[in-house]
Amino acid sequence: MNIAVTIFLVIGAFFTFVGALGVLRMPDVFGRLQASTCIATLGTINIMIAGILYAASSHMSAGVIVKLILFGLLVILTNPVSNHALCKAAYHMGIRPAKGFEPDDYAEDFAEAGEAEDEVKEEA
Amino acid sequence: MNKNRFTDWLSTFILCFLFWMLLVFSVQPREIILGIVVSAVIAMVACKLLIHESAFYLYNPVRIVLLLFYAVCIFLIELIKANIAMARIVLSPGLEGYKPGVIRIRGAKNIKSLYGLNMVSNSITLTPGTITMEVAEDEQGDNYYYVQWASVEETDREKAGEIIKGRMENWIGRIWR
Repeated sequence: MNIAVTIFLVIGAFFTFVGALGVLRMPDVFGRLQASTCIATLGTINIMIAGILYAASSHMSAGVIVKLILFGLLVILTNPVSNHALCKAAYHMGIRPAKGFEPDDYAEDFAEAGEAEDEVKEEA
Repeated sequence: MNKNRFTDWLSTFILCFLFWMLLVFSVQPREIILGIVVSAVIAMVACKLLIHESAFYLYNPVRIVLLLFYAVCIFLIELIKANIAMARIVLSPGLEGYKPGVIRIRGAKNIKSLYGLNMVSNSITLTPGTITMEVAEDEQGDNYYYVQWASVEETDREKAGEIIKGRMENWIGRIWR
């Protein structure tokens, strides 16, 4: 059982490391957001599974296991909301990657709305 | 308070109270009374946000079983594939394969409810390498997701949609209408 706990911990630590390295190495905001998702998904899930196995093998109460599952669930439910909001906010602030987005359908479809807002602001 | 809003409140209250009891995990009277008070207050605020159609729509056992199956089997496999692809980009010496782009993909016709749209876009955001920026509806009633993609492999929108969504959308279509 100890071996299984160690394996899950190592996999979780590896994906957390990859996510942290991605946050450092990526050249712009969007790439950093993408890389940080690795930490929240497989990093958290694997460490959660390791915790559950450890709690089950050392005869802790069932409350500990339920709490671990709920914490993992909370991280997974709240992460996409903040990620989506940060990504959209960065886009609306005018931040773009060095080479620009290759296809940029969002600018194509919502450009008119953005320009209209600018005109309203200028008039005001 | 009319009857309709009371059932909305009741179903939100049951969900909150269940969550509280799981988190506390004891049956002492003090914890139960505190849980009832807190859940009642939260349910009053949150019932408008959580309930859209019928009040007990969420408590269908078939739906819960399908949801668990989706989370454990389908979604986990997509998650592992995307994580390995992301690790390959991050660990490659010159960040090869990092080509950012925003692409518009069409949503499935059978997913119309807010639950379904929300779950598809959150599933896309949770797989590393893709973030949903916006969900919009056009004049014909089709839904489109604007996805920010870290490594654009395919610029054709139909094929890109298949790569990004994979099997996830079919299964979500079976869970929520």
